[in-house]
Amino acid sequence: MTIRAKLGYTAAGMTVFFAVLVPFLLMGVFTKGFAALGLHVDEMYSGGPIARTIQAGVYSIDIHRPVSPHMLQLEKAFVQLDWKPVSALPPHISDVVDVDGDGQPDIRVSFDVPKDAKTPLRVNVEVLNPRYEAMRNVGKEKFSRLIVRVDDAILVRVPLAKP
Amino acid sequence: MSVLLTLPIAIWSFLMFAHFWQPNRSAQIAIIMTAVFMIALFFMMMRTRSTYRWRRWFFVAMGLLFPVGFIHTVIAMRGTMGIPIEEMIAGRTPFCFLPIPLLILPAALTKTVVFPGSILPGRGMAGAGMAAMAGMWLAITIVVGKGWCSYLCFFGGIEEGMAAVVPRAKLKKIDTRWRYGPWAVLLATSLLSLALFDSVYCMWLCPFKAVSEYVAARNTLGLVQNGIFIVLFAGLVIALPLLTKKRTQCAFFCPFGAFQSIFNKTSVFDVKIDRTRCSPCVLCKTACPTMSLTDESIAQGETLLSCMKCGACVDVCPKDAAVWHIKGTEVASKPERARLLLLYAAWGMAIMFGGGIIAQGLATILHVFI
Repeated sequence: MTIRAKLGYTAAGMTVFFAVLVPFLLMGVFTKGFAALGLHVDEMYSGGPIARTIQAGVYSIDIHRPVSPHMLQLEKAFVQLDWKPVSALPPHISDVVDVDGDGQPDIRVSFDVPKDAKTPLRVNVEVLNPRYEAMRNVGKEKFSRLIVRVDDAILVRVPLAKP
Repeated sequence: MSVLLTLPIAIWSFLMFAHFWQPNRSAQIAIIMTAVFMIALFFMMMRTRSTYRWRRWFFVAMGLLFPVGFIHTVIAMRGTMGIPIEEMIAGRTPFCFLPIPLLILPAALTKTVVFPGSILPGRGMAGAGMAAMAGMWLAITIVVGKGWCSYLCFFGGIEEGMAAVVPRAKLKKIDTRWRYGPWAVLLATSLLSLALFDSVYCMWLCPFKAVSEYVAARNTLGLVQNGIFIVLFAGLVIALPLLTKKRTQCAFFCPFGAFQSIFNKTSVFDVKIDRTRCSPCVLCKTACPTMSLTDESIAQGETLLSCMKCGACVDVCPKDAAVWHIKGTEVASKPERARLLLLYAAWGMAIMFGGGIIAQGLATILHVFI
C-alpha cells in the first residue's frame, strides 16, 4: 500500500470520526465561531440601534439611529420610532417628536391603537422639519415606510427626505 | 455480516433519536418509525450492496415530509405561510442553508447579514438562529462535501421522487450547457445580493418557497414574487423531473449545489470509473440524476465536479466499473470499503439531520389520528 493510499484511508477513517463528533462537538464549535464573527443583521430589517428614548407619561418612544440604504438597495433612508409598551398606549396617539434631539419638534405622528392586535394599523406623519417625509394613511408599504406591531411595541418608520 | 455492519448505525440511531424524544405520543411513534426506517434502509444497503435505491427512499421521504412538518409549524406559530413584514423586522424568519453562499459577499465586505433572521437563537420561527445553521452546514460539509445534496438537502427529495415516478424519460436530449446553470445562478445572485443588499435568491428565485413559506403578498410586487416561486417549482421540481428523470432544479438551477461543489474537496470520498472494466455502455451517464457524467469524463475515469455521490451510476453499472473511491487509493481497490466508510459518515449525518425532519413530518400526520 502506497503512502498516498494510507493517507487516504486515514482521512476516510477521520471523516467517520468527525461525523461522530458533529452533533456533540463540531456543530457547537462552528456555531460559536460564526456567532463570534461579529456579524449583524441588515438594519433595513432590524431598524438600527436605539439612539435615545423619550418618556411620554406611561409609555416611551425609542428613537433609532437613521438607517441608510446600501448601494442599490431598493429602499429609502428612514428613522424608526417604537411606541411601547402597547398595553400602556392610549386608544389614539398624536405625538410631536423631536427625532434628531436638537430641541425642535420634527414630526407629528398620529395613529390609532386598536385593542385587537390583528387589526391593521395606519399612520399619518405630519412634517415639521423638511428633513423627513410626510406619510398619509400608510400601512405596511415598504421597509422604509410603515407602521407595524412587533411584540409589545408599535414601530413607525419615517422616510428621510433626500438632501 | 449485514447485521453486524448495521449495528453501529443502529447504535447511532438510538443516540440521535433519544435526543429527539418527546412526551407527545404521536411524536414518540413517529420517532420509533423513523429510527426503524433508517436502520432498515441501511441494512438493505449492506445486504443488497445497492446504495441509490435505498437512499432514495430516505431522501424522498425527507423531501415530502419536510413541508408537512414545516408548514404545520409555521401555521401554528404565525397562522400563515406568508412571512409577514412584522416577523422579518423581528428577525424571526427561519433560515435554511440555501442562501448561505449569497450572504458571504455582503458579510465579508460590510459585516452585515442580508437576511431578516436572527444570528443567535431567536424566538418564533427564528429557531436556533443563522449561526447554528451555518455551523451545522460547515460541520456536515467537512464530513460529506457535495454529498450534502444526496443525504442532507431536505428539498431535493421532492424532485428525486418526481423523477422516480415515470419509468422512462420522455425528454432525453438535454443540452449539456444547462449544467452551467447553477454556476450562473450562483454568480448572478451573489453579485445581485451584494448590489441590492437583499437575499435575492430567497426573495425572487427559490422554487421551494412554494412548499415552505413565501413572501406575504402585500402588493403587486409580492404577487409577482410568489408567481415566480410557483412557476419555478412547477417547472423545475415537478414537470421537468417527470419529463427527464433528472433532478433538474439541482442540476440546472440550484446555486447552493454549485457552491457545495467547491467544498467537495473537503471530502475524501468520490466516484470513479474503472477504465479497465468500462465498455462503455454509458448506462451510468443516463442514470446520473445531475448529468455529472459525460463521454469525456467517463473516458477519463472521472465524474464531474457536480457529482453528489448518490450512487446511481455505481448501482446501474453492469460491469462494476463505476466504483466508490477514497482519494489517494487505487481505483477499484476495495470499493466496498470506500462505500462503507462513506455510508457510515453520510448516513450518520442523514439520521442526525434528516431523521428529525422525517420524524417531525410523521408526527404531524400521526397527530391527526392519535
